[in-house]
Amino acid sequence: MLFVDEFKKNEPQLRLVALMLAVGLVILLAGLWWVQVVSANEFQSHLETQSYRTIRLPAARGKILDCAGRVLAENRPVYNLSIYLDDLSGQFNSEYDRLRPVKITPAPPPFWAFWRPAGTVQTNRVRLNMSQVEALSMQARYNVVNRIVGQAGQKIGQPLALDPKKFNQHYQTSRALPFPILESLDARQIAQFEENFSGDLAVDLELESVRDYPHTNLAAHVLGYLRRDNDSQAGEDPVFKYRLKDYLGVIGLEAGYDPQLRGRAGGESVLVNSLGYRQAKTVWSPPEPGQNLVLTLDLDLQQAATAALVRHQGTNARAAVVVMDVRNGDVLALVSSPAFDPGDFARGISFAKYQQLQALQAEKNRATAENYAPGSIFKVIVSLAALEAGLNPDQEYTVEANPEDPLHGCYFLSARSWVKDTAPPGKYKFKRAIERSSNSYFIQAGLQAGVERVVALAKKFQLGETIGLPTRQETGGDLPTVERVRSPDWRTGDTANVCIGQGAVAVTPLQMAVVYSAIANGGTVFWPRLVARLEPQDPTQRQAVNEFPTGLVRSKIGVSGRSLRILHEAMLGETEDLIEGTGTSARVPGLLICGKTGTAQVPESRLRAKGWNYWFASFAPYESPRYAVVVMVESEARGSGGGTCAPIAHDIYETILNKEKSRAGKILAAN
Amino acid sequence: MFPTQIVPKESFDRLQIAALVGLMLLGTAFVYSATSASNAAAGVAWFNQAWARQLVWYALGLGAAIALCVVDYHTLARWSFVAYWGMMLCLVAVLIPGLGKTHGWGAQRWIDLGPFQFQPSEFAKLAFILAGANFLSRPVDELRQPLIFWQGMGLLLLPCALIIKEPDLGSALVLVPTGLVMMLVAGTPRKYLLLLIGTVGLLGGLLLADVLLAPPRWQVPMQEYQRQRLLVYFGKDFAPANATLAQKAAARELQSDKSYQSRQALISVGSGGLWGQGWGQGKQTALSFLPPSAAHNDFIFSVIAEEEGFVGSLVVLTLYAVILFSGLRIAGQARDRLGKLVAVGVVTLLFSHVFINIGMNIRIVPVTGIPLPLLSYGGSSVLCSLIALGLMQNIHIHRRGY
Repeated sequence: MLFVDEFKKNEPQLRLVALMLAVGLVILLAGLWWVQVVSANEFQSHLETQSYRTIRLPAARGKILDCAGRVLAENRPVYNLSIYLDDLSGQFNSEYDRLRPVKITPAPPPFWAFWRPAGTVQTNRVRLNMSQVEALSMQARYNVVNRIVGQAGQKIGQPLALDPKKFNQHYQTSRALPFPILESLDARQIAQFEENFSGDLAVDLELESVRDYPHTNLAAHVLGYLRRDNDSQAGEDPVFKYRLKDYLGVIGLEAGYDPQLRGRAGGESVLVNSLGYRQAKTVWSPPEPGQNLVLTLDLDLQQAATAALVRHQGTNARAAVVVMDVRNGDVLALVSSPAFDPGDFARGISFAKYQQLQALQAEKNRATAENYAPGSIFKVIVSLAALEAGLNPDQEYTVEANPEDPLHGCYFLSARSWVKDTAPPGKYKFKRAIERSSNSYFIQAGLQAGVERVVALAKKFQLGETIGLPTRQETGGDLPTVERVRSPDWRTGDTANVCIGQGAVAVTPLQMAVVYSAIANGGTVFWPRLVARLEPQDPTQRQAVNEFPTGLVRSKIGVSGRSLRILHEAMLGETEDLIEGTGTSARVPGLLICGKTGTAQVPESRLRAKGWNYWFASFAPYESPRYAVVVMVESEARGSGGGTCAPIAHDIYETILNKEKSRAGKILAAN
Repeated sequence: MFPTQIVPKESFDRLQIAALVGLMLLGTAFVYSATSASNAAAGVAWFNQAWARQLVWYALGLGAAIALCVVDYHTLARWSFVAYWGMMLCLVAVLIPGLGKTHGWGAQRWIDLGPFQFQPSEFAKLAFILAGANFLSRPVDELRQPLIFWQGMGLLLLPCALIIKEPDLGSALVLVPTGLVMMLVAGTPRKYLLLLIGTVGLLGGLLLADVLLAPPRWQVPMQEYQRQRLLVYFGKDFAPANATLAQKAAARELQSDKSYQSRQALISVGSGGLWGQGWGQGKQTALSFLPPSAAHNDFIFSVIAEEEGFVGSLVVLTLYAVILFSGLRIAGQARDRLGKLVAVGVVTLLFSHVFINIGMNIRIVPVTGIPLPLLSYGGSSVLCSLIALGLMQNIHIHRRGY
């Protein structure tokens, strides 16, 4: 070693000093080794946590489209005016210096110029304690930002105010993000901003995406609604310091297909300095946009059905309409009334409005999520069971008069108890029994065929079953099991009630649409389909289109063609027989409709006032059925299915006819 | 006796000079790196930037050092008492309000000379080394007399007391080992030295115990920030044991504020890892987690350690080791006891600075405002370091055998 021999011959004191130096240097070296090599990772992660902020970037939510690609739900760009605080730290400092209390002190001249007179000097060196400094810098920041907000307001021609509380909260919690001073600018304000701002004001427009429903409350229950939710979803990195606005589906398809619609949120890191201001940013995982949802709904039919309901029953009517393609189970229109505007929820609904919706029970999807007694529209199932069991449709059956009400018939269960009928007493064949909806006839027919047959057939129509609707609002209805109807508790009166669609059976309008579709198409029960496919938002992207199969067969009812033909004919009479038919107001010239009206009395309960459910269930055209239309209206007023619901179906069929005509015309023109 | 020796051509200690130049290059580069972010933000002209000023100080210091080499150190030593008392005057002057300047945190350390400010405590250290060496270079027999011993002690304690009064505890503290080592090498009897070390150790221990453990009424008067730094270093709570919860929370927050610098310095050093992040790539300075006011002077080592890693730290330590050990060799080769004592004094002073400064960056020493010789930005420190090294070269030039 270079110095060693030198010290050997020297005095011990120098060697002692050399030893002390060596020990000191070795201590330093060991310390540095410990800090820089052994615990480097720990300090590097310290550095990262104090200098990076992660931000969750929500992906563009997929659109919801009707069967022809018309928009039902999409994202609308909204521009917010925001202040970038990272550009302002210099101004904050100078404002702080300006605000600092000043002290004027006499200043003696420097000692080499002692002859000069003493002057005064202003110093900012007034001692402030921590909380004073904090309050003063808060004031300084507020002054600067308030001034900018004021200028910005002048330039876009709208006076703006800065809420100190909101600003301070933003400053304390999310300094690295821009601070919004005016949300959703209109077109005029955007134009004025673009004209008047040269970029020196630390203010800029920020793009934000807001869920938009261009048809407001149309198909609200199918679409559902969203609420603000910025949390990480399954499969995402859960740790983010900041989160940008995102939504989560609550009900409807927005909820049922939420993962597919929302895509995958990404993330970016913002490098911040010691004061928390933004320095640079890197997107480490770009968001993957969600998929578009293409529905089976037909916007025209949906609009027609909604308009028909409103026209005949008003906007607050408690009602539902389902239009289904009988050939494959595709839902063409599904209306539940009263409806809500999903856009209200996306924008943030007011409490008053929400209470109003609650009072109307508007959130409930009455087409799928409420049990209704089917009343007389259930008689088609009793008819088929009876016909299959050997009922002769041409055999006359005499209905006796009600002893208390001689104008109407009745069915005697025993000498002292009878079931009231709305149809008059007299002679009934099958067709007239359907047309006049004779309770007595069908109770007798059902009792003859046996309630087990009726229940078994209803089971084949999949009544009493849920299907896992993606709208997440569903009930399966009620249907007694074969065991239950065989049990000794089951009485003749119960059978009589089932035969007229009361008592132990309950259905949803969607289920009845499935039933009537099966009757129309010759006996095939399909899985109802609401969503046709999922496709990528960007059509150029080579991403698989996820097509949901149409016409998925659920079961066959196994009823002979003869029985169905007899029933079809009788149902045609319901609308076309102007003397006996009860559903004649559904008639549309040029379209033969097979229908069945129904009325079910609802006993008073906690949830519902005493009233009636009126029904009109139908399919058309008679020759080769394509559409099933089911209309249900809840009402406290006395009426009938034919009077309340058939006119609504009439309007819908009219639209269907016009649509088919124009389509045929187009095809003709094309040829 | 006027030695009229001609300075021989090969008489500089070239190894030491090479290390010196290396440190100055590093100093320039990292003062630049530490200040580039804030300079860019403020738009400072290049000639007003710290690295350019540092170069000017290096040049001035080198000039002064070369000038010192021309004059034999015996001549310098004869004037040492003048320098010593002159510096004592300056140290008194700095305490007079109006003459002494503070840089904002309550310590009066600077004297305003118009275009620049100078820090007398730095120069006082040099004057002390010269005067002390001159005093102690008397025959060893005289050093046995108590009177001489106490005079020597007075020589050491006067500047210490004045510097503590500023207050600049760090600068005062580095004088103590310097004085002790010079006494040791001068041949002061062991019993005096042991007594002295014992006394210093006892006083230091009592002071610490007082700060850390004594109830408030019994504590020695001390600047609040000094007490807090000590508490931070020893990891003690600021709040007294009987404080309320709110007081404790406030104290904890204050403590986290007060330990901010040392915490950030440690993060800088640690995040450098083995190889560092590269010159100019240090995040801690760029994002001003290391306070920009301190990064280029007291915390320059953090910047080097973050940007160049353990390897960079090793290079810095090696350069200092070369300077220190070649300084000791110069002491060993010195023609007389005066030369040996001056060299040993300078070596110890430099070593104390290096140890305290780097130690404070890795938290083995409490935070004190001690510059890292030749690397830290600052005129007084650079000038003094270079003058001290010039003295060393002077002793080398006039060593035995020439």
